[in-house]
Amino acid sequence: MTARMVPHSRVDEFVARLMEAAEVIAPRRVEGGDVFYGPISSPAEVAWDYGTAVEPLKRLLVPQRETVLRFSVNEGIHVAAEMDERERVFLGVRCCDVTGVTVFDALYGGDIPDPYYMSRRQRSILIALTCQQPPNDTCFCVCCEAGPFLTKGYDQQWTSLPDGMLVEIGSDRGLTLARAHDDLLLPAEPDHLAARYRLAREAETKFSDFRSYIAAAMRKLTMNEVLPEVWEQAADRCLECGGCTFLCPTCSCFTVTDRWEGPQGLRERHWDACLFRCYAREASGHNPRAELGDRMHARFFHKISHQWAQRNGRQACVGCGRCVMTCLGWAHTPAVTEGIRRGVIP
Amino acid sequence: MAEIATVCPFCGCGCGLYVHTRDGHAIGVSPSRSHSISQGRLCLKGWHAHELTDNPRRLTQPLLRRNGQLVEVSWEEAIAAASRGLGEIAQCSGPRAIGVLGSARCTNEDNYVLVRFTRGTLRTPNLDCSLNIQCLPELSPQHRGIGLAASSGQIADLDQSDFILVVGDDPTEEHPAIAARLYRARLRGAHIVTASLRRHTLARLADVHLALRPGQEARVIGSLLHVLLVEEGMAREAAAELAALRASVADLSPEDTQAETGVPAETLRRVAQLYLSSQQVAILYSTGLALSPVSAPAVQALTSLAALSPPAVGARVVLLSLLSRNNLQGCRDMGVAPEFLPGYGQLNDDAAVQRLAQAWQCELARERGLRAWEMLGRVEGMYVMGDDVIRSLPDMARTRAALEGLKFLVVQDIFLSPAASLAHVVLPAAAFAERDGTSTSLERRVQLIRRAVSPPGQAREDWRIIADLSGAMGQPFPYRNARQIFEEIADLLPIYAGVFYASLEVHGGIRWPTLEAREAQPGSLSSGVTDAAEALTRAAARDTKMKASEQYPLLLTADPTLRPWDGEVTVCQALTLWEEFTVVDRDYPGGMLCLHPEDARRGGLRGGRDARVASTKGERQMRVRVSDEVPEGIAILPYAQAAGSGLMEVSAHPDTGRPVLMPTPVSVAPVQ
Repeated sequence: MTARMVPHSRVDEFVARLMEAAEVIAPRRVEGGDVFYGPISSPAEVAWDYGTAVEPLKRLLVPQRETVLRFSVNEGIHVAAEMDERERVFLGVRCCDVTGVTVFDALYGGDIPDPYYMSRRQRSILIALTCQQPPNDTCFCVCCEAGPFLTKGYDQQWTSLPDGMLVEIGSDRGLTLARAHDDLLLPAEPDHLAARYRLAREAETKFSDFRSYIAAAMRKLTMNEVLPEVWEQAADRCLECGGCTFLCPTCSCFTVTDRWEGPQGLRERHWDACLFRCYAREASGHNPRAELGDRMHARFFHKISHQWAQRNGRQACVGCGRCVMTCLGWAHTPAVTEGIRRGVIP
Repeated sequence: MAEIATVCPFCGCGCGLYVHTRDGHAIGVSPSRSHSISQGRLCLKGWHAHELTDNPRRLTQPLLRRNGQLVEVSWEEAIAAASRGLGEIAQCSGPRAIGVLGSARCTNEDNYVLVRFTRGTLRTPNLDCSLNIQCLPELSPQHRGIGLAASSGQIADLDQSDFILVVGDDPTEEHPAIAARLYRARLRGAHIVTASLRRHTLARLADVHLALRPGQEARVIGSLLHVLLVEEGMAREAAAELAALRASVADLSPEDTQAETGVPAETLRRVAQLYLSSQQVAILYSTGLALSPVSAPAVQALTSLAALSPPAVGARVVLLSLLSRNNLQGCRDMGVAPEFLPGYGQLNDDAAVQRLAQAWQCELARERGLRAWEMLGRVEGMYVMGDDVIRSLPDMARTRAALEGLKFLVVQDIFLSPAASLAHVVLPAAAFAERDGTSTSLERRVQLIRRAVSPPGQAREDWRIIADLSGAMGQPFPYRNARQIFEEIADLLPIYAGVFYASLEVHGGIRWPTLEAREAQPGSLSSGVTDAAEALTRAAARDTKMKASEQYPLLLTADPTLRPWDGEVTVCQALTLWEEFTVVDRDYPGGMLCLHPEDARRGGLRGGRDARVASTKGERQMRVRVSDEVPEGIAILPYAQAAGSGLMEVSAHPDTGRPVLMPTPVSVAPVQ
């Protein structure tokens, strides 16, 4: 699909138009100093020049705590689902986070689609923002095929060029949106696309030595060749905070609780984490993964084994580096990947 | 949707976090990257802090006991009942028949207003926080030793330290934000030395682990001082105080210590060498030491170690007392203690008393009052604000019985805590994220806690409840909001001088004393060293050896660093978090008795099986966990389980008089 260009001077105008039709979610700096994806109230709020957001888009698609339905038992049982039906545009999303959503699509939209997720997802447009510099020194998307520029997974992908914002179209939805604003989004020149490919190549060379040999780890995990002591070491370093799973753009586990208030009640869904001791604990008290090392093994098998990559369409690590920042111990993906490869976690 | 920057309500680290709100509900939490403590990280508890709000188990309406049942009443009725009940006791038996407990879970403002209410309105000096048992106020070794009633350094100092000594702490369980820094320090090559009962995860990763058996802390640290002062001749030319300290450790040679404790002499010398070759030293201790039978001399020995300094030019030593709760520091700063006034003012300091009396426009109860455990059985009425007194003190059955025996008990809390379920009046309070205020972390960082959502039902801020009650008792308080109270605190408390509200609005707050107040804080290391010398001499003269016998071959020991949050009221009522913090109780009904594999083998005991544990005080069934973290000959229980077991001796600490769970000889037999 052909690419378009918006002059820098008119980007805000385009954002304002998006805001008229939908809730626009964009990176913005909140009081306290950090950047989160969240609804903006004016185009000026968008933090175009940000590193990475503290969190991926997960919270906006699957909240940490959400009421999914209400029920009552007055004269029969009544159940009403609470669906989120807002139209939303996700703007300025980092490529790793866009890729995370594609993994979510495979997980939540698979054999048994999750209606709550799908309701939000079908009403959202994903606009990626490319990274011309690695935003953080913990970034390793280059090891995971999830950035700094994308070739798929987005509805639109924006790249800031000297002449303006290059808008690449990645889906019918992205195209429809572009066509609706033909007066602003003018056709891009071949030079613009050439500049974009040059910038992408340059960006890849700017990443630090911090890397994660996912492919090597994938082979060992898949073939069950990982030394058992690696999981013991991983367990020594994990403090079971759950941070890596909560911040991971591809971790999707949740738990469900029912809450009665008299004859009525509500069902809530909360984030859960496979590293928690009670995650797999059964009602009998039996715990198939009572040892933290076994839970670490299960987590990384789901993240980067070939079996799971085949199921999700890709490995479930996008190299956003959030686990590196949030790990209390030193059991984040690059460290454990290194441990899997070499037999020792640093 | 909005993200409100605030502070984690759980341990004493003071991590920054954001509460996510939508349509007036707190729907999640995320860590703050820009905050200097959290740096993008949170622990399991912090990640679930929002679950304290919008929680069906919260107290939402005042409760009054009628015919033995707690029934919902209006605020007017509840305040009138509380005022009448407390007034009657004061009238019949005098104000000293009332005891008040403040809270390490509440804000500085709540605690400050409580102190004013207690000393001013009720006129009783019996004011404490049950968690003060984890601090050492009577000796105030740090107060006198460093010139601050708190840690001497800050958490960020760990990032520069090349020698870190961790005594009686398991930071992975107690202070995850500090553990994170220790893991990173290890990666950059800093030397980490742990000294604790259990060989926990950090101990396994440390350069040196000193395996301390119960009651040996002072001896081993004293011996380390011996190596430094006698063998290495450190600080030879220094003042007379150090000569006294040197004399007090003269007999604690590593060889004798090895014979006594089993800690190898060479290991102690290696630790001394690592210390001597370092540029920046950090010494950390926590509840594992503070609740030990020899806490006072051991903490004083550590203070002395901090008063020395390695020979390298510009070498620094910081001492961090790792407080277990979010605002334990602030609670003490505000004067929630029977022996000092807000800001650690002395009770006999007329000027300090006068200043408060003038500001509060009333006379103050200025004598020394009862401590939390001294109140039990001695007062007739109690007022408990967010304090887990039953869980904190070492003998749960005794505490519960004392509360049951009270003529009148008022509890204000966010959940129906064990104490609240015994109360005559229960007042629902606002929780984290439902109120404005400040808290002070273990490194003296004063930070803003911001209101993100409304309290549930009729719950109110703690300070507002107390102000209402004080008004009903004839002493109205002029406070309109938390900011006004804080400004009064900053104005009246010399240690908070210069802590301006504007400086708190910056995420991360500001540490006291500010430059302005530092000048008013004379710090004298020498007095601390003198104290330590005396304490070590006294400790050496005492026979603190606790021996197992043939009939009771194992020494049952309470470990406050093992599963320290299990059973705590806030985490156990959180919507999903409760599961992780009650699982040990469910997996190990009766208690999680941790045994060394060799002891288990000898006793015919297996992990996951029940055992009968007997001491001279009684017998109980518990479930065994076999772990090589546990030293041979010792059986370990988490502190709260030990306090509830009724099997352990509780005796008064010889230096401080406070009740201590003593290691108790037990027999353990399998249940057939």
